[in-house]
Amino acid sequence: MNELIRFDQVSYRYPGGQDVLSDVSFSIAQGEMVYVTGPSGAGKTTLLRLIALLCRATRGQVVVMGQNLSVLKPRRIPEFRQRIGLVFQNFNLLYDRTVFDNVALPLVIRGYTYADIGRRVRAALDAVGLLGKERALPLTLSGGEQQRVGIARAIVTKPALILADEPTGNLDPEMALEVMRGFQRFNEAGVTVMIATHAIDLIEAIPQRNIHLEHGHVTDKRPTAASQLREHMHHGLG
Amino acid sequence: MALVEAGMERPSLPARWAQDHLRVLFFSLGKIGRAPIAAAFTALVIGIALALPAGLYVATQNLADVAYGWQSSLQISLYLKDGVSAERGAALARELDALPGVGEIDYISRERSLKEFREKSGFGEALDLLDDNPLPAVIAVTPAPQQTQDQIEALVAKLAAKPEVELAKLDREWLDRLYAMLAIVERSVGILAVLLGVAVLVIVGNTIRLDIESRREEIEVMKLIGAPDRFIRRPFLYTGFWYGLGGGLLAWVLVSVAIALLTAPSAELAADYDSPLGLTGLSPAAGLGLVAAGIVLGWVGALVTVSRRLASIQPK
Repeated sequence: MNELIRFDQVSYRYPGGQDVLSDVSFSIAQGEMVYVTGPSGAGKTTLLRLIALLCRATRGQVVVMGQNLSVLKPRRIPEFRQRIGLVFQNFNLLYDRTVFDNVALPLVIRGYTYADIGRRVRAALDAVGLLGKERALPLTLSGGEQQRVGIARAIVTKPALILADEPTGNLDPEMALEVMRGFQRFNEAGVTVMIATHAIDLIEAIPQRNIHLEHGHVTDKRPTAASQLREHMHHGLG
Repeated sequence: MALVEAGMERPSLPARWAQDHLRVLFFSLGKIGRAPIAAAFTALVIGIALALPAGLYVATQNLADVAYGWQSSLQISLYLKDGVSAERGAALARELDALPGVGEIDYISRERSLKEFREKSGFGEALDLLDDNPLPAVIAVTPAPQQTQDQIEALVAKLAAKPEVELAKLDREWLDRLYAMLAIVERSVGILAVLLGVAVLVIVGNTIRLDIESRREEIEVMKLIGAPDRFIRRPFLYTGFWYGLGGGLLAWVLVSVAIALLTAPSAELAADYDSPLGLTGLSPAAGLGLVAAGIVLGWVGALVTVSRRLASIQPK
């Protein structure tokens, strides 16, 4: 299978700070769906940021879609980032634009004709079940709907890779499962999906490959559910 | 829908470029339209800053015109040599009358000079003490109207070369002083224009800076989804363009209104001085130049600010 992402002994350190990731190596093939898990501060977000070139590795090599990111010139970054669909915990929508304009933005940046843009935006909104909400402003929508707008914006350019950072962090369980099922559908259609998440129940509901981070290292441990955590505490008390 | 698709069709690069510029042109206008009062004040400040040097420029041009008009009312006094007879003097006056560039001729013989001097000066008794009439004969030459300074100086030189003429004198010291003052005023207008041009850059820059700060999150989101800097920069440049265009047009209007208000009093003044000249305003070319200056200053002010600010905004 084609390799889409490769990390070779990658470390990242905040300027003047401590290591967030150290010596991380893994490889993700095209068409995979992967969870990135681990406690807060373990480096999940940093790992996704490295792939989207929102920051650069301090040591080691990150190769994404055949591109060695350490040699990519800063002015080439926008072009590179256009090939990735990004989904965020806080949605990162433009709140003074309609749903349609938000989803259309990546296409406007690339310079498609308005006829094409209209067609693709409606197809993307249809894929997330928001076809009737084109003219709405994001703040009039529920959190789950806003996140689906964010997802529609990420898939409207039909990227080969979607990176989602805590996409369900602000959603109720029902919405969260619906959003995860959406990612699963995109994955089944051939998109490589990486999701950083805390949501153990969702991981258990939709089992996929899991990269688990602790203190900046990849480990074989698996995330602990809150229910088990309570048992641990009881043992501790008893 | 098929989710992975290689090579989506896009228009050619120039077509994409034109399409996006057109989109941003109207997008930025719409954005200004949503806060028309604030935008109008910015444009007004720019307009006043541009109108000041433009108005002063028009004023100096009119002053120069007036001074130019006065040139023709100068007199050239030709003092004739003592040996030249009264008949020869009168004949010379008639000859000179026929020369191009000469308007009016008045021959004042030595006797007439003496008579006028006696009547007007009150020193008649003093002259009686002298044996001879000490006053020379004079031909007073008024140049034909609408001549340049160079033409008049050439005329003076030609008249001075006549063998009968002892001395040709153009009474123009005060006019030279006026020209010198006009040159200083013109230079000052130039300096003022540069200073106010810088002020316009600062005004536009500051307005755009506030605009950028209020859209910081939007810029971060744009960078996150792969918008190149030139795409993010474009709406701000067009905002600067609209401010400059509005300011330039306002400046043109302000100068035109000021001229309209000054036309009536200046016509009275011109009538007093027997001058046919009215006020000249901004020519269409100068007006368009003023608008163009506004647009360039607005665009450059926005470009400098947005280029400096954009680098400092990075997605979190």
